[in-house]
Amino acid sequence: MITTSSQSLQKPSTFTAADEMSPRIRRLKERLYVDRYPLSIEKSRWQTQAYKASDGEPQIIRRAKSLACVLDNIPIFIEDDELIVGQGSAKPMGLELDFYAGLWPRDEIEGLREAGYDISPQEETEILDMNAYWQKFNPLPRLGEDASEEMWGFLKSGMVLPPWKSRTDGPGGGYAESGLGLGPGFYLMTVDFEVALQQGLLALISDAEKRLTAIEYAEKDALERAHFLKAAILSLRAIIGFAERYADLAQTMAAVEADPARRAELEAIAQICRRVPAHPARTFREAMQSFWFIFLMITPSPTASMGRFDQFMNPYFEADLANGRLSEEEALELLQCLRIKDMQLNRTSGKAARQKNAGMAKWHNMVIGGVTKSGEDATNPLTYLILEAVRRLPTAHHTVTLRVHDGTPEPLMKKALEVVKMGTGMPAFIGDRSYIAYLLDQGVPLEEARNYAIGGCLDVTLPGKSRTAAVGMFIVSMVLEATLLNGVVRRTGDAVGLSTGKFEDFKTFDDFYAAFKAQLRHFLKLHADKNNAELLISRELFPDPVRSVLMDGGLAEGKALLDRTYLLENGALLNMVGMINVVDSLVAVKKLVFEDRVVSQAELIQALDANWQGREDLRRRFLEAPKYGNGDDYADQIAVDLFDYWADVAASLRSCLGGAHKPTGISVSSQWPGGAQTGATPDGRFAGECLADGTMSAMRGRDLKGPTGLMNSAMKISQNRYQAALFNIKFHPSAMQSDEDLRKISFLIRTYFARGGKHVQFNVVSREILLEAQKHPEQYRDLLVRVAGYSAYFIQLGKAMQDEIIGRTAHTGAG
Amino acid sequence: MNRSPTSLVDTVGAGAAAPAACADRGVAGSIFNIQRYSIHDGPGIRTTVFFKKCRLRCLWCQNPESQQEQPELFFNAEKCIGCGRCEKVCPEGAITLRDGRSWTDRARCTGAGACVEVCPQGARSLMGRVASVDDIFQEVSEDAIFYQESGGGVTLSGGDPLAQPEFALAILKRCKEAGYHTTLDTCGFASWHAVETIMPYVDLVLYDFKHMDPDKHKQYTGFSNEPILRNAKGIHHELKVPMRARYAVIPGYNDGVENATALADFIANELDRSIPVDLLPFHKYGGAKYQRLERVDELADTSPPSEAALTALRDIFLSRGLTAKVGG
Repeated sequence: MITTSSQSLQKPSTFTAADEMSPRIRRLKERLYVDRYPLSIEKSRWQTQAYKASDGEPQIIRRAKSLACVLDNIPIFIEDDELIVGQGSAKPMGLELDFYAGLWPRDEIEGLREAGYDISPQEETEILDMNAYWQKFNPLPRLGEDASEEMWGFLKSGMVLPPWKSRTDGPGGGYAESGLGLGPGFYLMTVDFEVALQQGLLALISDAEKRLTAIEYAEKDALERAHFLKAAILSLRAIIGFAERYADLAQTMAAVEADPARRAELEAIAQICRRVPAHPARTFREAMQSFWFIFLMITPSPTASMGRFDQFMNPYFEADLANGRLSEEEALELLQCLRIKDMQLNRTSGKAARQKNAGMAKWHNMVIGGVTKSGEDATNPLTYLILEAVRRLPTAHHTVTLRVHDGTPEPLMKKALEVVKMGTGMPAFIGDRSYIAYLLDQGVPLEEARNYAIGGCLDVTLPGKSRTAAVGMFIVSMVLEATLLNGVVRRTGDAVGLSTGKFEDFKTFDDFYAAFKAQLRHFLKLHADKNNAELLISRELFPDPVRSVLMDGGLAEGKALLDRTYLLENGALLNMVGMINVVDSLVAVKKLVFEDRVVSQAELIQALDANWQGREDLRRRFLEAPKYGNGDDYADQIAVDLFDYWADVAASLRSCLGGAHKPTGISVSSQWPGGAQTGATPDGRFAGECLADGTMSAMRGRDLKGPTGLMNSAMKISQNRYQAALFNIKFHPSAMQSDEDLRKISFLIRTYFARGGKHVQFNVVSREILLEAQKHPEQYRDLLVRVAGYSAYFIQLGKAMQDEIIGRTAHTGAG
Repeated sequence: MNRSPTSLVDTVGAGAAAPAACADRGVAGSIFNIQRYSIHDGPGIRTTVFFKKCRLRCLWCQNPESQQEQPELFFNAEKCIGCGRCEKVCPEGAITLRDGRSWTDRARCTGAGACVEVCPQGARSLMGRVASVDDIFQEVSEDAIFYQESGGGVTLSGGDPLAQPEFALAILKRCKEAGYHTTLDTCGFASWHAVETIMPYVDLVLYDFKHMDPDKHKQYTGFSNEPILRNAKGIHHELKVPMRARYAVIPGYNDGVENATALADFIANELDRSIPVDLLPFHKYGGAKYQRLERVDELADTSPPSEAALTALRDIFLSRGLTAKVGG
């Protein structure tokens, strides 16, 4: 059901800026803003009970039973005004504590209280009890206790965030997010929503039952497959049962509802929940509800993807519209209800990890636009409506990302930029050319490549055909320090690196550069080893029947996520943070130390040790050396070479899931804790100062030639070799006033994507407003900024993070 | 005066001295900024080259650092710690120390810039530099791919590019050879010879009208508007270069109904109704520049025009059948 673009051109004119959210949405929105969030242990309580009862059974069966126990027993509720139902927590705006990524000792519970979460003393006692039980399922000691001295030094260094405190507790702190599915959360993947919507879960159950009876026990893995299928049936039945609980509740509420309009709505909810997700969805509304139930089962996960939502939902929308079952306004209201539902999914993590993804980070990414499998423009009426829903209800979540290709209609770009202009940072723009080129290079057939979606903030996924299960935040600037210090990590003093020689003894830049590359390879190998160990532990402890079934050939294969190799095998990633600081540092060292010889090696080391104190003159010279981000070949060639080198090293490091590690560049907000762990660097940066944000972005204030100059640098880098390459540009609203201004930004985006650019997103907010918000946070409770791949409420970010955002270059279109 | 048959440098108006230094510089000139991603100076994504030097001295000039041809010192007194390093290196002996800060005798300052180099605080900077046509062409070419996609190109602004006509001509020729769209932002105060030589290389003129009354024009800018209006007619009727009219609205100086009506009538009757008009409201960003130049800002007490006033002025143009909008 593909609409031609000429039809879809008519859509944006339907709405004007005067159209606002309905009273229902306004009321639902108001309930999102609470001062303190309740923590809930209902889910863990039922999980613990189920686990204790299933001791000795196969792991995947225990997991299915624990899911079923939660879904059968967790308290449920329907809020006033809701049209889509299903809560991810037992409490409104609550979040459910989890134990799979670490435990919750007393100091962490205290930390949560300080961060605004309510926990009763009684709950605290229960949490401490559960810690004792879940210790045996804690993955951290398994990794830490068996680690070699070298690996332990690496974990402790924090080169992959956050630093480990002890071999048994890792970085400390667990994980909490609303959502009723099974962990772990940080999988970058898109399940096959279409199967669930189009076939219904009963069809999957019946398929699983047939396969179970047909198992040939002559096969070596027959028993594992049988366990998998049994677990799948248990889980899918539990999900249907959960929907039926909502149907019952809606019916009960309808019976006592005085308001006839609301009574009718509750009756409709009851009918819909009896129907889906058990059966195929027939209407847009049923599809929305079915989608949401499935989504609740793939969360808690901050990186759960909503897939190519406009593609698989539009057929329901257009059919309803044609039959007169639904108006555009009603569809818009449902799309806004979905935004509300996603906002209700709360999330936090342990203290140490909280910094690296600030502001209640999550990346529930809905991808729209792009091309169809056959290469046509995929824009449809729903593509526009999704953007209109963001315009009317500009909440931080869910994220919307627009795929841009050569034939993306200009009215769609305009619509998207009108939403950007409001300051939500949404949608992010990604270039089909570079994403598809990456996939083709990985051996993915063209039709499949064209169907890509996004997992997490920007990483490529194939719906049902890939899953990333290991990704870290690797602080490259710490490798530079270790090279300057002959293999010693500055932060810990441990000799975890190679002995590549004293910096003072290098005769040429090439020798020094070679030493840096050797250190980088060495540390990336340690990172890859850590990834593989985590994957193997995760595979043993945390098989997830639900997500596994919702993958391509899930039942036919009869294997869990981490027991398969997928079409795109990007199970393990190597992700860089602070690479641009390293590039700028190497460029400055090359120019000033080895070429112009204006400073000796010893002098530089002293100045860095002293954090430039007393050597402001020297710092100024290093600041004035050529910098990435200005289109200057002298600086950019090192960036080009290092990005290629990183991709080469990744390709040489195997993943235990099959294939090699994949290179990616998503800093999220790790530039801040990463910077805090790095001393002064030769790019003129002070010790502890935040690193460059993004991957393609320049260091703050070092790009002096505007967005085109910055893009000229970024376009030289082989971004096609990367899964993702984050690129933030901050625009002052003055550069986005008229339609003509928006058209120029559209050209800017198109030019960047036509020449290898992968991603660009815009922060549109004035410096003055941000400073004002820092002073009077209470007046700016809903001020949104784009942090990195997600939007956050500015006032919820720490002061340092706020300062960093204020400090980013504001590109003002000159006039 | 000084005019040679090949020189585009000429005098217009009474009493203006010929800028002899410019004639023999050939393919180099004086600029104070190259602004990339310039989006309000013509179609598409552009690079704007800001020329130093302007013959007019508009009281409300928003780019006062552009008026002189030679580099000018920007001084940020708040940053100065009075260390005296600048005093020691000034070749003209123009700097003295007093009250814990440095003072520059502007009459003696030649813009040599030695003080800028040694200032540890970054309190001193130089506005303006000599650049060759090659340098400029190289920088504007960096964004060539963005011009292609967006229908953009290169804009010469200032100052007034026509105050360095040979330099402007050389840049424009190079840009046209490379296929870039060219825009010239000018007040039109130049000899007809310069105008007719340069215009074949210009795709769009942004033409600034200061005031319609010759005496007021002289009072506010130093010169009569007579050559400006004559050149505007010539550019439109003889040379047929597409034009946009620009009217910087300065409260108390040129925002009267009478002046706006005269301008609207001039464009509609003497030029053409197809010429769009941009009303550019006076803003206060220029004030800080006067401080840094240690000059008096004559319009320190002037406020930007109100929306209502701008709308009323715009309507005068609309009533003459012109297209007009507020903002560039």
